[in-house]
Amino acid sequence: MHPVFSLPALRRGGAFWIGLGLLGVLCSSAVMAAPSPIQSDFDDDAVLVTLPESAPASDGARSSPEAMAREIQRLISEARRSGDPRFLGYAERLFNQQASQGLTDPLLVLRATLAQSLHRFDAARQDLETVLDRSDAPAQRTQALLTLANIEMVQGHYDRARPLCEQLTAEYPGLIASSCQAQVAARTGSAKAAYNELTAATRSLSNVSIQGYLWAQGTLGDIAAQLGRGSAAEHWQRVLSQDPDDLYTRAQLADWYLQNRKPRQALVATEGYEAVDNLAVIRAVALHRLNHPDAPALASRLRERFEEALWRGSMLHQRDLSRFELDIEQRPKDALQHAMANWDTQREPLDTRLALRAAIAAQDNTALGQVRGWLKQQNQSDARYPEES
Amino acid sequence: MSAKQLLAVLIMAAFAGTAFAHKASDSFLYVDMDASEVRIDIALRDLALLVPLDANGDQRITGQELRAQRTLATQAVENGITLTGEQGVCKLRGQAWGLSAHSDGPYLATQYRIDCSNGELPKQIEYTLLFDQDSLHRGLVQITSGETRSLTVLSPEKPVVDLTGGATGAWDTFGTFLYEGIVHLLMGLDHMLFLLVLVLPATLIIRRQSNQTPTHSFKSRLLQLAGIVTAFTVAHSITLALSALNIVRLPIAWVETVIAFSIAAAALNVVWPFLGRKTWKLAFAFGLIHGFGFASVLGDLTGGVSNLAIALAGFNLGVEFGQLGLLIIGFPLLYALAHVRVYQRFIVPLILMGVGIISLMWVAERAGSI
Repeated sequence: MHPVFSLPALRRGGAFWIGLGLLGVLCSSAVMAAPSPIQSDFDDDAVLVTLPESAPASDGARSSPEAMAREIQRLISEARRSGDPRFLGYAERLFNQQASQGLTDPLLVLRATLAQSLHRFDAARQDLETVLDRSDAPAQRTQALLTLANIEMVQGHYDRARPLCEQLTAEYPGLIASSCQAQVAARTGSAKAAYNELTAATRSLSNVSIQGYLWAQGTLGDIAAQLGRGSAAEHWQRVLSQDPDDLYTRAQLADWYLQNRKPRQALVATEGYEAVDNLAVIRAVALHRLNHPDAPALASRLRERFEEALWRGSMLHQRDLSRFELDIEQRPKDALQHAMANWDTQREPLDTRLALRAAIAAQDNTALGQVRGWLKQQNQSDARYPEES
Repeated sequence: MSAKQLLAVLIMAAFAGTAFAHKASDSFLYVDMDASEVRIDIALRDLALLVPLDANGDQRITGQELRAQRTLATQAVENGITLTGEQGVCKLRGQAWGLSAHSDGPYLATQYRIDCSNGELPKQIEYTLLFDQDSLHRGLVQITSGETRSLTVLSPEKPVVDLTGGATGAWDTFGTFLYEGIVHLLMGLDHMLFLLVLVLPATLIIRRQSNQTPTHSFKSRLLQLAGIVTAFTVAHSITLALSALNIVRLPIAWVETVIAFSIAAAALNVVWPFLGRKTWKLAFAFGLIHGFGFASVLGDLTGGVSNLAIALAGFNLGVEFGQLGLLIIGFPLLYALAHVRVYQRFIVPLILMGVGIISLMWVAERAGSI
């Protein structure tokens, strides 16, 4: 049994999530499965749960702004590495205990990064603009420029991302800035040239930092996939061989395998990452396509996950939920609703692709026209998108 | 192997072997109003933030370690939750204690009988567990009462929830949204300006006609204006409902730009009636657009509201009352002014120009965020 949510989540419609999931589920008719029974006879020696090695914030974190920044940085990195959002809550708690006016620039940048992770893009933008207005410190400016450019890119505001990438090139030239510019160019009609230029840059620049190298490889992978080239996988594998816990790249690679009818390789890429929602959904789709005996078990675990997320009202999982509805549950109308809600605030190729696929499956020409109209306006084409019929 | 041991193994098998999902931290609260019981499930991982469960520090919590801290664990749970009845805080009487399973692993589940004075039912539940440790923690509440089950969410911003629901809840919702509707109309300058522009032509007509039927026209004009305003309300009610129910969805930046533009167009229409003289039709057409704008406000307010239809009705009526109220106060003023010579020659053009400029500035500003 799963809940019958009689009303879709109310949306504000703009680029803002309703106070992070503080939206109660709106149905008095919801049918929830009865809670699992209380089990009092558990064994003394049984290991019930293994705690994560990384501890939540210690109280010493508030001794100085530097200590607090280090602690928050650690928590955000842990959340990114593991895909575990509890660490974001621990980090946010530290900010909540601190007066907002007294935050140093590094802390503001971190708060923006946290907001970005929670899809509060407007709040993130505001903090980053404050830092860019008042800070002269190169480290903070670089970080703020890059994060802001990234947010604009994710939201599909290429006109706003472009000058930020140019400014980044002026203030901190290198592969990260080149990747930034290549990404904007690729999404606005010049994918081939962008790929060639960024490839040339990776060869010509000496003294390349490992971050710059990985960033460029990730970007090259994305543009290669956009161009429909098989080399995409190689670029992404280079990133993952250095940083296996780069979940963003891992999801792109696994999805690419899935799309190119290599579900077995998608299984390999998602092996051991079932705890992370988006990788688990890709894995579930791969298992489903292979008629694997484990497919129903994973699908049912995900079903429970999404039921809880809907009850909570968390909007962070719209994309994963949409994918699940489309490819596992085969409910294209529900899939489209979540895909479009997601597409309202996030317009990366995989978001756009999902919106297109869901609109086609649901035979919704309005939604399809809306997405295609936007693509045309941006002059964006992508081999990952379903073809126009 | 005894039956008890076998069961324990099976339970562990259900927990082990699967990588538990990572999710934001939630507790589950099941309130049964019929039996006057409450059950709280808290993730062991979260409980470990409140109670030193991991006695030997090996990052693994065994059944024995959990049992050893039963008293502290129970205290922690009871400190984080308060049920209140008419006569004050209700007592919790433990009924069951053990493990349960949710999608991210094992939880400690504790079930209580709720004992309020005079045997009455609890009226509200307050929940503060873990908010000091994890600001993204939420309490997911299921309230069962007779045939109905409702779901809601407790958060640091909203740690209290009403358990009675039913008729009073619906009236409360209606009242709250009625009030919000009035407030929104009075706070929203764009809707006030739009209303003003709709009213202005009627005052001008009155001046021209006042020679023939001076006493009759005030009342009939007021009634006609009420009709215009109602046409506006009916129209925005339609689109507001379509939008709130997610049947039609428009990008808010576009909507707000078009709203600003509609005000400028309505102002221009007073001088040069390119949209016609039928003001109520104009009001209806523009009302359709403004409804989408109201929807963005309503979306912020309806978090946790269990009866959207009542909320919508309240909000729409609130907007209507606000408009009629403004009309009752504002129209006589304008009507009185209309008898002054400078009104038509200076004041009206000045108002129209002001409204036009402001709304065009909004157009520019809002179009920027498209």
